[in-house]
Amino acid sequence: MPTKTSKKNKAAGKIKIFCDLRKCTGCKSCEIACAVEHSFSKDLVKALRESVPPTKRVRIRDSFGRAVRISCQHCEEAPCVAACMSGAMYKDPKTGATKHDKDKCVGCWMCIMVCPFGAIVRSIEDKQALKCDLCPDRDDYACVIACPTGALFAGTPEEFKRKAEKKL
Amino acid sequence: MNYVIIGGSAAGVMACEAIRKRDEKAKITLVSDEKLPLYSRCLLTYLLAGQITEDKLTFRDPDFYKKNKIDAILGVRAKSIDVKKRAVKLSNGKSILYDKLLLATGANPKSIDIPGVDKEGFFTIRRIDDARGMIKLMDKVKRVVVLGGGLIGLRDAYALMHQGKKVSVIAKSSQVLSQMLDKEAADIIRDTLVANGIEVKTQAAAKEITGGKTVEGVLLDDGTKVDCQMVIVGKGVIADIALAKGSGIKTHWGFLVDEYMATNVKGIFAAGDCAETRDLASGEMTINGLWPCAVEQGGIAGANMTGEKIAYEGSLSMNSVEFFGLPAISMGITKPKTDDYETLVFENRNKNLYRKIVLKDNLICGAVFINGVESAGVINVLMRKRIDISGIKERLVDNNFSFATVMPLIKDNSDSFTAEEFLDTIKTYQ
Amino acid sequence: MTKAKDRSIDKASQQMLKRAEAEDKQLAWDRLEAMEPQCGFGTLGICCKVCSMGPCRIDPFGDGPQEGVCGANKDTIAARNLLRHIAAGAAAHSDHGRDVAHTLLIAAEGKTHHYGIIDEKKLHDIARIYDIKTEGRSKEDIAKDLAHAALAEFGNQEGELKMIARAPESRKKVWRKLGVMPRGIDREIVESMHRVNMGVDADYKNVINHGIRCSLGDGWGGSMIATDLQDIMLGSPKPVRAKVNLGVLKEDQVNIIVHGHEPTLSEMAVKAAKDPELLALAQKYGAKGINIAGMCCTANEILMRHGVPVAGDFLQQELAIVTGAVELMMVDVQCIMPALSSLATCFHTKLVTTSYKAKYPGVEHIQFNEEEAYEIACKIIRMGVENFKKRKKERVDIPKYEMDLVAGFTAEYVFHMLGGKYRATYRPLNDAIISGRVRGVAGVVGCNNPKIKHDWAHIEMVKELIKHDVLVLQTGCSAIACAKAGLMTPGDALKLTGPGLREVCEAVGIPPVLHLGSCVDNSRILIAASEVLKEGGLGGDLCDLPAAGAAPEWMSEKAITIGFYVIASGIFTVFGGDMPVKGSENVTRYITEELDSIIGGKFAFEADPIKAAHMMIDHINKKRAALKLNPMMYEPAKKEAKEEATAGAN
Repeated sequence: MPTKTSKKNKAAGKIKIFCDLRKCTGCKSCEIACAVEHSFSKDLVKALRESVPPTKRVRIRDSFGRAVRISCQHCEEAPCVAACMSGAMYKDPKTGATKHDKDKCVGCWMCIMVCPFGAIVRSIEDKQALKCDLCPDRDDYACVIACPTGALFAGTPEEFKRKAEKKL
Repeated sequence: MNYVIIGGSAAGVMACEAIRKRDEKAKITLVSDEKLPLYSRCLLTYLLAGQITEDKLTFRDPDFYKKNKIDAILGVRAKSIDVKKRAVKLSNGKSILYDKLLLATGANPKSIDIPGVDKEGFFTIRRIDDARGMIKLMDKVKRVVVLGGGLIGLRDAYALMHQGKKVSVIAKSSQVLSQMLDKEAADIIRDTLVANGIEVKTQAAAKEITGGKTVEGVLLDDGTKVDCQMVIVGKGVIADIALAKGSGIKTHWGFLVDEYMATNVKGIFAAGDCAETRDLASGEMTINGLWPCAVEQGGIAGANMTGEKIAYEGSLSMNSVEFFGLPAISMGITKPKTDDYETLVFENRNKNLYRKIVLKDNLICGAVFINGVESAGVINVLMRKRIDISGIKERLVDNNFSFATVMPLIKDNSDSFTAEEFLDTIKTYQ
Repeated sequence: MTKAKDRSIDKASQQMLKRAEAEDKQLAWDRLEAMEPQCGFGTLGICCKVCSMGPCRIDPFGDGPQEGVCGANKDTIAARNLLRHIAAGAAAHSDHGRDVAHTLLIAAEGKTHHYGIIDEKKLHDIARIYDIKTEGRSKEDIAKDLAHAALAEFGNQEGELKMIARAPESRKKVWRKLGVMPRGIDREIVESMHRVNMGVDADYKNVINHGIRCSLGDGWGGSMIATDLQDIMLGSPKPVRAKVNLGVLKEDQVNIIVHGHEPTLSEMAVKAAKDPELLALAQKYGAKGINIAGMCCTANEILMRHGVPVAGDFLQQELAIVTGAVELMMVDVQCIMPALSSLATCFHTKLVTTSYKAKYPGVEHIQFNEEEAYEIACKIIRMGVENFKKRKKERVDIPKYEMDLVAGFTAEYVFHMLGGKYRATYRPLNDAIISGRVRGVAGVVGCNNPKIKHDWAHIEMVKELIKHDVLVLQTGCSAIACAKAGLMTPGDALKLTGPGLREVCEAVGIPPVLHLGSCVDNSRILIAASEVLKEGGLGGDLCDLPAAGAAPEWMSEKAITIGFYVIASGIFTVFGGDMPVKGSENVTRYITEELDSIIGGKFAFEADPIKAAHMMIDHINKKRAALKLNPMMYEPAKKEAKEEATAGAN
């Protein structure tokens, strides 16, 4: 059974979400979970009927027959932060996460212009850049919990490295 | 070490951050001729449109200078540099000494030389005071003429449209955004502007601004007269290189710098809109007066001023705008002038979708995106890192293009993608 | 992990849940937790894997693909998936009906002496529907013709089902107008499978309308045949007292649980448990007797006819094994969790399958057949008795909870009680509704589902309904749930009952909540509703009746099919959880709004049982108002009634 240990350890910091692509079946459960987590109701069926449907910040895309997860990598030297002219994109000095302050964002899409992963999406309704925010409203990560195969993994880069080096 | 930075916008502030990060004890002095600290001038059109308030203009916390122990001298202009004494003369009569000096003086808006530019209601917009002046007049204005169909002109026009004004854009060129976009993309933008009520007149110029004390109209070179209460010139900027005078610093369009952002005069660096750097796409020396360039250059200049040796890859002309929900992003060469370039185009006019990639020898030199901009950054990184895209060429302008499409390239060029984030994505990609 | 008290409202179940947790046994609730969050595409019904160009799924949030490879959109996909569910549910019930007809046939032909014709009156009643001559013929001859006629319903290709002739004329007109009169039971199921095949029916309304046709073939066909032929063969139930819940298991006896849906084998098991030789064997091993207890709908069948104790409902099948006191569990078909086989190995319980249609890896199979029904039952019971030796006393933990109930009500005979022994008629019920003593009638049926606190929604809903003078008819696991809560005894349940309904119940001596049998016996509710309509004074069509249906804890595809034939019969129905259609706004709107004006019934989805109950009460009130019936006799004041109505609407 896939492990569902993704409880946030805020003190540990530097937690990112990784994807073991060998285990990703492309089921898009993470997409749905992400959208629901970022809805007002946080309920699948209700979320569909919200006046502004929620936007997912993780996408599964095809890479020559293989499923690839596209989402913010929380880059150490984040190009989106450098390109942001309003100061909305910033690095959290404690956790290293790339954060987004929606009060400051004006929707100029400079961040989209420079994100090498194409991981930032536009909220067309309220002119906001949207990206993985590591689920501030919950103790774990919606996509990681939703992943039925355990391909998604929350941990430190070192932990992911060990996982990736292990044979399946 | 005693650092002096002239200019308090993106390049200046980033340099301060870079220096403080490396040298806790350094004495840093920042001189800016603007009183309002730490505001992002790119946001002025949003202020003008009423989309944000003045308190949202800042791109750093208000206590940034204090927290970083930076002596900020605001509202004071640097008048000249005495290279021998290593001193900068200020407009308040004082003079400050430096060990290392950064010129981040930015640029000034181009104006026009026609009769009537002295009338009340005539503006260029570059500084907070310009915006404030326009906002003050706003109630009296019903109709605005914007001279210039470039990015600044259109942003101004869009902002005033938001304020409920009737807006006419007068552009000299045969297309709008002629610096940024090719004709096809520009026409999509123009159509959108027109469909939303902005009048756009190309291949036209103003001959005279009419009126008494205040602006009452614009007389065009074809003899037509447009009534208006406000005229805005949005015709680009000229680097502010006045300080070069008598300093021996070499200039062209701007201060000429080497790859370490240093000028020819020892101890003096330049960054941002006043610095002339190598353009990544064309290979020529130019000024890419863009926020992200200023941020990068300021950071590198600051680091190198402390003695590091970080080379600047070069600048890339790129921009992003959105009008009436239609986003447009361009980068590099969008209108190749010679025929050794290859262009890939995808177009769907019904959906206002347009993507164009400009290639030379299977390297990306430029790109345009109208709508469907989400993966523009992926193209951007391939262009910067000069990755041979021959393996995925036919997919570059595909609707389904994404980072997933370029994964094989990342894997094959892993020495170009050394950042941990790239390596993480391909670790389990088999 | 959720606590036992949050998993079930039933004390006996809570005790077993705690034991399972202490012993680290994985139950349905644990497997649900491991499975969560469940697939959003599946939940919304917008994934399609009917062809190999797929699998496809529609992005519910709009920025991904909106059409499958073939171009099917979310409406088509959701509707096709729904039709597949309806066809599967109809197939399950109807196949059960087919087996019953087959048993009747071989019994009538004298090929088995284990089954006979017990209810001759019903034989004649049903034979008349099939235009079978009864006068001067032996019951065997009539039964033979009836069995053939019933079997022919499955393969019928043209015209209309015969059984559905029993529906009111007004209703049949509606069905004919919409073109949903079922032709043959199997035909509609097969045609469903054709329509949902790649590249066939893409108009969601057309797809769902066929779902209605298919479901009617079940409710007024397959299920009805099952109920009526079982009554003929095994005897029509009559009110009977019995006991329910895990407490019916006996510490000092051999406990054998019959689980599943069909009554044929379990009937024999009940007989075999009284076999002197087997009893002697049991005593030899130190057991005082052989205790047969039912589980799920098999339980309901033998409860209704013999008062055999009921061990529990769907979610108690694992818990029964956890008591450590069950020697043997024999299963036939439907609602049997594959998890039983591994759970049984953790205890001494022997699991035996008996239908070639339902086998489980590693589980001993003893094929049932009608010809040797009793011998096979004896063989299985003997295995149970032998297994008593393996019971570990220290492992036995039987919860001391059991409840009395009265079951055995049917459409033909129950309501006659209302008229008294000698005046068999629905008149008193109709009068009670017209006069405002009884507000209306609700059918509360269906399964358990670990997503909803076990039994809680059934019990809360039913309590709320009887409090508001709504007579409740129940079948399936819903009936077992409410029986465990004591709602099926005339005594305590009446304390929770509104004054008008209480008066009627007290006068006649029935509980306010009536057990009508297993889930195929929902057909009894259809017949009862038709009889009420025929009696007069409550409108001209089934959809005029002050009646409503509900499946508060549904989980099976069969529930979807039942829901469809109930709404198609003009009765508003509330489901506890969503059907997997919410990914399509159009399909959702069609079945929850638009169908009302087309067929006189519609669905609502409401997880809160109290809110759901008030949706039903509001609906009944609306129907009462439309019929201009008297105001409710004991309604405190109009104002309060209004408040309740609005509370329900919220």
